[in-house]
Amino acid sequence: MDQAEFSKHMPLRGILQNDCRLIEYRQGDIIVREGDYGSSAFLIIDGEALVSLKKIAKPILGRNHAHQKSFFETISQLWSNSKYSEVRELKSNSESNTGTIGQRSQGAQTRVFLHDIPRVIPPGQSVALHPGEIFGEISALTRTPRSATVVANKKTFILEIRWQGFRELLKRHDAMRQHIESQYRENSIRSHLRETDLLKNLPQASIDAISDTTIFESYGSFQWHQNFRSTKEKDIADRILSEPIIAQQGQYVDGLIMIRNGFARLSRSRGDGQQTIAYLGKGQTFGFRELHHNWETGQQRPWMLSLRAVGYVDVLKIPTSVIEQHVLPNTSAADRPPLYPQANAASSRRMISRERSLDQNLLEFLVGGRYINGTQAMVIDLDRCTRCDDCVRACAATHNNNPRFVRQGEKHGHWMIASACMHCMDPVCMIGCPTGAIGRSEETGNVTINDSTCVGCSTCANSCPYENIKMAEINSPRGLPILSTDGPTPILKATKCDLCSNQPTGPACQHACPHDALARIDLSTPEAMIGLTER
Amino acid sequence: MNHVKSKTFTFSGRRKKFAFATCISILAMAAIGGWLQNQLLSSSFFTGYVFIGCLFFLTALNMRKRLPFIPNIGSARFWMQLHIYVGLATFVLFGMHVKWRVPDGGLEIFLSGLYFFVAFSGVYGLYMTRILPKRLSAIKEEVIFERIPAMRQKLAQQARAVVMEACESSEVLAKFYANRLIYFFETPRSFAYNLSPSGGRKRQLVGELEALDRFLGEDQRHASRRLAVLVRQKDDLDFHRAIQGRLKIWLFAHIGVTYSLLIVAVVHGVLAHAFSGAMP
Repeated sequence: MDQAEFSKHMPLRGILQNDCRLIEYRQGDIIVREGDYGSSAFLIIDGEALVSLKKIAKPILGRNHAHQKSFFETISQLWSNSKYSEVRELKSNSESNTGTIGQRSQGAQTRVFLHDIPRVIPPGQSVALHPGEIFGEISALTRTPRSATVVANKKTFILEIRWQGFRELLKRHDAMRQHIESQYRENSIRSHLRETDLLKNLPQASIDAISDTTIFESYGSFQWHQNFRSTKEKDIADRILSEPIIAQQGQYVDGLIMIRNGFARLSRSRGDGQQTIAYLGKGQTFGFRELHHNWETGQQRPWMLSLRAVGYVDVLKIPTSVIEQHVLPNTSAADRPPLYPQANAASSRRMISRERSLDQNLLEFLVGGRYINGTQAMVIDLDRCTRCDDCVRACAATHNNNPRFVRQGEKHGHWMIASACMHCMDPVCMIGCPTGAIGRSEETGNVTINDSTCVGCSTCANSCPYENIKMAEINSPRGLPILSTDGPTPILKATKCDLCSNQPTGPACQHACPHDALARIDLSTPEAMIGLTER
Repeated sequence: MNHVKSKTFTFSGRRKKFAFATCISILAMAAIGGWLQNQLLSSSFFTGYVFIGCLFFLTALNMRKRLPFIPNIGSARFWMQLHIYVGLATFVLFGMHVKWRVPDGGLEIFLSGLYFFVAFSGVYGLYMTRILPKRLSAIKEEVIFERIPAMRQKLAQQARAVVMEACESSEVLAKFYANRLIYFFETPRSFAYNLSPSGGRKRQLVGELEALDRFLGEDQRHASRRLAVLVRQKDDLDFHRAIQGRLKIWLFAHIGVTYSLLIVAVVHGVLAHAFSGAMP
């Protein structure tokens, strides 16, 4: 890399100093796990790493083994629940017992390593990475789960590059950018385009043409959760204005915007401020109505609304010319959005078709509090809740007498979002777990913690912007605190709502509410909340 | 833009379904009772057995709540709906069982009293569970009932600290606190307030605090404002305690008397069988 390509305020040396760190891995150390979320890319400096082509068993990766309780085990909770809080049987991870994996400390960090690499990753079922090769970059740039597990095959030195630095490197280094972009186009964009409702019926040639011209952009910060609490203190108007603009009302429509990851706020100018109209999440598009209108009428309508990044957003932008050439002609009239009314028409003040939507202030509350991140948010209708705490008791009954949520939280009118894990779309709690104890189920999307591999480092609890992960001091079955062997300090475990994933009933809280007050709903789209408000 | 295409669930839709099913069940019971009488058979045993079955079923809601982990027995909200409508149906069933007359035996009068207590407390509870949560949710802060004593103590400490700070320059506020506020902050509210909570006391105390303004310096006025805020917070806390307490005490009474009702109803059934030979 040529240092001259970098700007003065962001020199290469500065990136290396602030956004990179050199890490030494010993043979067998797991560098990244399949399914983990992370915000770093890795450059091999010396040594060799193996990318497993084989799916590695969940217990080896430290994940929770989804064990569904049998009918007898379910009933036995009646008498087997402990009378003490946070009781644990002292047993270690089964994979540690069989000698497949081990844990070792490297400085302040805990590492999980494979005792016998060929036993877990058989020869021929892996790809070797050598010095100069990068891995984990797509996951770091797009905040998607790691697609494979990577293990150090011998003593290996790796440069971990944070996403901020990596983004800067891509801006300044053409070869690297072209390499990443081509990889991204090859692996991700095509499939994403195919999954989009608007484009799924297009011929392959059109998809290829769109894929070649699609622009990949990111807005906002991956580390939004770090300053989220202080951001919430700000006035709502300032908060909206500080959000990065993806498309601004009144400006030229240069393409169709597709949300690939994250959330965006759709707002309209009102006086000196911005009024939230809706929010868009993964897979939704913005600007098709304007594009259709301009194509059909020959007019040049600008963006009718603004689109702003809430936290961070990855977008794909398909240029206007490509939409006009490949998408609009291939879309049936029924699938096209309605044209805007004429400027002098009586109805022109209403630029958006009237649809069932959330109350304006409730919408602002959900977006401002980033509750739209939750796929299983606990929403309580306080107008129906008699404060009987049946939900808390049910939660305790299914978790060895330890409730995993607090029936308190932020309120808006008669709606409360209780302090229970929301199993977020963007699970920032999963970044940085040293043992892979916190993981997302591929089948259900639930985020759960494996108690036996959790080392109590509090990384997840500190990352959760909603403070829904609690660190608990654990006790023996006799109620005595369990202390660590290296010092008389209590052992901590991260605890949170697991949506009763091992119970045949599903979430006990929801099941136990007799007054229809509590619901676990997906707030990433407004439909479920609209359903609740219109009951 | 996001939008919803179809409605799924509404309370009014559910209400209609359950009300319809309840009416049909009552009509069926009346028809069976009428048929038994036409056959010159006594319908009392039939209605009695159905009635006591309903009582056991109604009690089962409490069992259901204690067993949240048992699968395939329906959610608590479904059980609650059944509880409400079966409970309402028992009014008609009771009338059919006593043949719409006032019971005359001592045990029967006692049993009827228990039933009416449980039934009307149930209706009152239904009314309360629909009305009182709205009054609670109108208050800014949400409070967990068990934490109220600790929160009250904290507010009392804060009030004391504000007054101690302010009394260094003048004792007007300190005297007012000692005469008017200390009892309000340090103790729970009266039984009368808990029966019918209102903001009268709060308004009175805040008004008196504002009236003190002309005797206070700038710093003490600031302390007076802080005290007024604490008075409002304490009043909200008391309101939560009164309303949440009422919801809990009602349930305690409703469930407690239900068990007495069940026992006496079983005794009544046994006696009815024992003396059935003497029945017309």
